[in-house]
Amino acid sequence: MDRRNFLKVLGVSAATSTPLGCGQGPPDNVTPSPDPLAGVTWDKAPCRYCGTGCGVEVAVKDDKVVAVRGDQKSPVNRGLLCTKGYYLPAMLYGKDRLTKPLRRNADGKGFSEISWDDALELIATKFKQTLTDHGPEAVAMYGSGQWTIFDGYAALKWVKGGMRSNNIDPNARLCMASAVMGFMTQFQSDEPMGCYDDFELADDFVLWGNNMAETHPVLLSRILAHKQANPQVRIIDLATRRTPTTELSDMHIGFIPGTDLALANGILHLLVAEGNIDEAFINENVVFKRGIEDLEKIGYGCFDDQKEHYGFKDKATASSLEELKTFLADYTPEKVSETTGVSVAQIRILAAVYGDMQRGTVSLWCMGVNQHIRGTWMNNLINDLHLITGKISKPGSNPLSLTGQPSACGTAREVGTLSNRLPSDRLVTIDKHREETEKIWNLKPGTIPAKPGYHAIDMFRALSRGDVKAMWIQVTNPWVSLPNLTRFERTPGDGRFIVVSDIYPTPTTAIADLILPSAAWVEREGLFGNTERRTQQWNQMVSPPGEAKEDAWQIIQVAKRMGMGYLFPWADDNWHEPMFEEYRKFTLGIGKDLASYEQLKESRGLRWPVVNGKETRYRYAAGHDPYVKKEQGVHFYKAKKNGEKAAFWLRPYHPPAEVPDEQYPFWLSTGRVLEHWHTGSMTRRVKQLHQAVPEAYVEINRADAVRLGLGDGVRIRVSSRRGEIIVRAKIDGRGQTPQGSVFIPFFDEAKLVNRLTLDAMDNISKEPDYKKCAVKLEKA
Amino acid sequence: MRGGLAITLLCVLTMVFGCRKGPSDAVLTDSAVRASRRAYDGAPPVIPHKRTSAACTACHTTAGKSVPGVGIAPANPHLLTGRSAATVHCQQCHTRAIVNTTFVENGFEGLRRDLLRADRVAYGAPPVMPHSTLMRENCLACHSGLAARPEIRCSHPERINCRQCHIAREVAANNIWPTK
Repeated sequence: MDRRNFLKVLGVSAATSTPLGCGQGPPDNVTPSPDPLAGVTWDKAPCRYCGTGCGVEVAVKDDKVVAVRGDQKSPVNRGLLCTKGYYLPAMLYGKDRLTKPLRRNADGKGFSEISWDDALELIATKFKQTLTDHGPEAVAMYGSGQWTIFDGYAALKWVKGGMRSNNIDPNARLCMASAVMGFMTQFQSDEPMGCYDDFELADDFVLWGNNMAETHPVLLSRILAHKQANPQVRIIDLATRRTPTTELSDMHIGFIPGTDLALANGILHLLVAEGNIDEAFINENVVFKRGIEDLEKIGYGCFDDQKEHYGFKDKATASSLEELKTFLADYTPEKVSETTGVSVAQIRILAAVYGDMQRGTVSLWCMGVNQHIRGTWMNNLINDLHLITGKISKPGSNPLSLTGQPSACGTAREVGTLSNRLPSDRLVTIDKHREETEKIWNLKPGTIPAKPGYHAIDMFRALSRGDVKAMWIQVTNPWVSLPNLTRFERTPGDGRFIVVSDIYPTPTTAIADLILPSAAWVEREGLFGNTERRTQQWNQMVSPPGEAKEDAWQIIQVAKRMGMGYLFPWADDNWHEPMFEEYRKFTLGIGKDLASYEQLKESRGLRWPVVNGKETRYRYAAGHDPYVKKEQGVHFYKAKKNGEKAAFWLRPYHPPAEVPDEQYPFWLSTGRVLEHWHTGSMTRRVKQLHQAVPEAYVEINRADAVRLGLGDGVRIRVSSRRGEIIVRAKIDGRGQTPQGSVFIPFFDEAKLVNRLTLDAMDNISKEPDYKKCAVKLEKA
Repeated sequence: MRGGLAITLLCVLTMVFGCRKGPSDAVLTDSAVRASRRAYDGAPPVIPHKRTSAACTACHTTAGKSVPGVGIAPANPHLLTGRSAATVHCQQCHTRAIVNTTFVENGFEGLRRDLLRADRVAYGAPPVMPHSTLMRENCLACHSGLAARPEIRCSHPERINCRQCHIAREVAANNIWPTK
């Protein structure tokens, strides 16, 4: 035994002997092994995964991340994390990290390493050539709500300001677009008025198809802590299946898929009929509107002449409270009960919750409402419930749409990396907005085209047709996450050029022509913006592996090689802060004001608008929002076109695009599980998360299983009109789906549930519906 | 030095006479096993046993419980969140492996702290709490009782008010480790 081990044993035995009276532990002159904490540094960062935006403190030793802890100074999570967050460090160290640029071999099989210089030159050449030969509509960039603000801003500027194309869209189109269009159509400014403070201030939480226990666990734990201290707090779970959230709720209200539209109208019907509305608030702050409601005219974006291109445009007409009363005559509790499968008693309870002016109500929703063939309508209806009761822009009473990606708000929505948008609520279709953008970017007037580019689904349809010839994909995995995947299958050598930047090999890198290794999370400096408008900055803490580089850097280098270096006139070793300060100009003075970079570096994130260094908890509310005068109370000052009033939209029920029939008798819904995030390319590389949920499964009702002679764990062939997969049955697992429906998570690249889903879309946001299609089950 | 020598002798004697094999130690898991259940020190441990039909808090009570056929259920250190099964979601932090495979090998090596290293103002002073009390409000869950590891077992659980002597630095340092 050497001295060190001997002393270690001594130490242990000394402590062991404390019951005998050696209460002081090892004496000071017995020094154990070197302190493992020596050389460890800590710094703050937001979590890499969802839109909650939990603060973590990251421990670094010898240029590696060695631990994290929930940041107790973060107002978001106050020290708590979820299991994905606790395992964040391991996410960086999967053995198959991409570390070198890889080019597909000439024979189409396999990849070979190439230098960064050659890779960047190749992209520049291919994109320049495509622009020359086929014009700006043949190039495209597909990005992400996981882009940092730097990445998204660089991409937007390069595509719209440099290549003069509007073909840039993020995966947020598959995720948050309906919430964006909800806020835009009603308040003419994106993002919620409320914030997380409502989790300790509200009395009732209504979860619209939102399995928070698995998808936003830290936020639900805030609600649960509030409920534990205040037993009058109620959680109502509106859903198409029972989930872990159901177990933590006071009431579960199950409805038939897609009928949430009718349910919301049923609640409105009772509120209006019983006079539980805030007429003074409505008179002062609300206008009524109607859009196109004809199902034949609207369609679903995936059948017949909409199969290749979906360009439906809504048209607003003025309406009134009187017309609303007539409109709602169709939504009596009895009729709604028949449509939705919800009992009349439960519809009345919901109306009583929204109609109780003494209690604060917060509505929460995410993908259940957004990934919906009428997702914008559903967003409208939820916001309507708050407008008609005046339960909006008040501490403890707000609609709060949750986000799935860490910077869906900060990057995709605020920077505006969508085919129709520019920074800070600006649109390419509005002359003034393009002019303002060109001015800040120092570009000639007329540089940015006025016609919106392809939205995500149409972009991939165009790629499959060959209309898009050069595409760059960053921080996302569309060959797992696109709906109706079989129609987007690709064989390299088809004349298209696809670049994919990522940190690990995925089914998307597998079909690429060029793969670029990216720096992840704290391997680079970054900024994310979370659900509650909080912008959070972090520093680079460790070196990226091998030759991996941050995504924004990749874009800047390509732009320089295309002769567009003027877009990024900053020093190579100091461009983050100046780039952010340029972007910040878009936000100032219009109620979207971001804090200075310096202030963000020091803070645990700040909620915009940040005016005179002070953040805003509640938008549009006097006493909170610096743009609202004291005497105005609640004032929707961004809705200039409606005389600074919010729009209440009358929106009817439309049935889903595909419903179960004799041939395909089951509803299929897809979604997430707690342990895996999105397509699993990060979380599956973490041993503990993989071992907890190693593969996708099909959740099936026990009665259906008995009827079909299927047991738990049996291999089942699930097929739709578009494809089939084989997965194992899960009966009475953590979720329980009602008879006639199944659920399959989408994280598993080997069991691609999106081979089954349909590319039906929301008519306004063009966000696909991943929650409703028809499938059949057979023993495999 | 003399005191140190005396203690060393006492410890060696304790070892030699086998006091470590007392009945309370027999239920403890090996240190390596303990480490394998945590990605790094401070990470929530994984659930090492099969799924049971009971709520977690039925066995993981504030005092812990001997469960026939399963073993000792360590006490629940989360005093503030552990009382009611209706308002807790244990799997938010604690995962349970159902397979032993990996998707891709992972080279992560977590930080391990030295359980014996305590910060004291001076020799003989009570050690400062080396970690945050967040989610560890119930000190005795880990520092006393059947599941307490000998390295960190408290000699005086009857004193109840731990913070009277053991300082928990507030927020800046009221963390698993002191902040920079």
